[in-house]
Amino acid sequence: MSQVHSNLHRSAISDWWEGTRRTDIWWTLAWFDIVLRYRRSMLGPLWLTLSMGVMISGMGPLYASLFGTKLNEFFPHLALGVIFWAFFSSVVTDACNAFVGSSNYLKQGYFPISLFVWRSLARNLIQFAHQIVLYVPVALWAGISLSWSALLVVPAFLILIVNAHALGLLLGLVCTRYRDVTQIVTSVMQMLMFLTPVFWVPSSLPERAKYILWNPFAQMLDLLRTPLMGGVADAHNWWGILGWTAVSIIASTLLFAKYRRRVVYWL
Amino acid sequence: MAFISLKNVAVNFPIYGAGAASLKKTLAASVTGGRFGKETGVTVVQALSGINIELKSGDRLGLVGHNGAGKSTLLRTLAGVYEPSSGEFTRQGSVASLIDPSLGIEMDATGIENIMLRGLVMGMSKKAVDRLTDEICEFSGLGEYVNMPVRTYSTGMMMRLAFSISTSVEADILLMDEWLSVGDAEFTEKAEQRMRDVVSKSGILVLASHSPDLIAKECNRVIHMEHGRIVEVS
Repeated sequence: MSQVHSNLHRSAISDWWEGTRRTDIWWTLAWFDIVLRYRRSMLGPLWLTLSMGVMISGMGPLYASLFGTKLNEFFPHLALGVIFWAFFSSVVTDACNAFVGSSNYLKQGYFPISLFVWRSLARNLIQFAHQIVLYVPVALWAGISLSWSALLVVPAFLILIVNAHALGLLLGLVCTRYRDVTQIVTSVMQMLMFLTPVFWVPSSLPERAKYILWNPFAQMLDLLRTPLMGGVADAHNWWGILGWTAVSIIASTLLFAKYRRRVVYWL
Repeated sequence: MAFISLKNVAVNFPIYGAGAASLKKTLAASVTGGRFGKETGVTVVQALSGINIELKSGDRLGLVGHNGAGKSTLLRTLAGVYEPSSGEFTRQGSVASLIDPSLGIEMDATGIENIMLRGLVMGMSKKAVDRLTDEICEFSGLGEYVNMPVRTYSTGMMMRLAFSISTSVEADILLMDEWLSVGDAEFTEKAEQRMRDVVSKSGILVLASHSPDLIAKECNRVIHMEHGRIVEVS
């Protein structure tokens, strides 16, 4: 790839940028991941939309009656919750396999490893795009009116991408070295699904249990979901998520700088 | 100008697996003050040590040695896969690596799609790949098969495809493990011709092979390896 290659004097930041700037490579790889997965099915990636649609429409009425809330208030909340959670959780679990799943490339030549983190993130973005469209009919049916404050979802989504990439580098490195961590992450994500207001409404939480809303997934979900439902997210969630972002960037930078060239030895 | 320089390079592999380095044992060892140190102690395989090589344009280096002598590891180090555990490694020039033909081939994608994927991965732009696609299909001699999924190919056909793509990129350095023999006589002829073309464009060829004939025919320098060391230079 690069013209001069040496094991000396290579900075982490240029390695990172080398992988990041080749959008055409990682985007095409991600695109093929999706295309090849569904090549032999008739509906193809529409299955993503379809199965998510079935899940939401099955759960909506059930949970609305369980919680005793009105369906047209609860349904948009649940739909966005489930769709965003599906994205969060597959980004995190896929990140664990970012390098292991790309070993056929990594063992062939020099690649900046950030490339494969972007690949796995791009693949999840494509899946997410197939699912978030379901919110349009839900919002129309529930009669949600959006104001300009809905645009706050854009910076929130950017923060999400930054976090997903940083966490991806971090988990990718750790999970390649310690294969057990993949299993740990999978079960932690399952547990977090219930500790995050995906299905339930945060206001129904008793006061002494409010601290579980400090988890980064709950904060991120609030920042993304509330503007799309015509509300404004709590300011403390912005501060909280910025704090988490700083932590994940620092941790992943340290690991990346130290171990980016060792990954291939661990495959 | 292409050149490769290795100064006292060593490559050591930590071998994990078979539970030898699970998180559990590492944690257990740290809690118990290293009592299980022996179990967590990672086996290290010294794949290469004390390698000194200088190559410049026009050099055609043959690597010979037993299975497991370190030929492929050396090729991979040259390709930039493994960063040397110690020593200095400098390389100038673009690389086409033909170390394992099936690596990086997507089995469910068609030949044409694989040309795009591999071309991009080798550093070409989409436009450049599009320009080269016809020529690659032509050279591979796969005919209508290029529109079929690669999983329907035979080993020889897969090798043809991989070879055609990899050598179509303008590269200064060609790294090859011996697998030309998979092709039939006609293709081997074509492939050898192309290999010479690459080298004649002031490039470097590094070829690992078990065939003394091939080495004698293609190479002007030979390195004999044993147990990860260079034992003989000629």
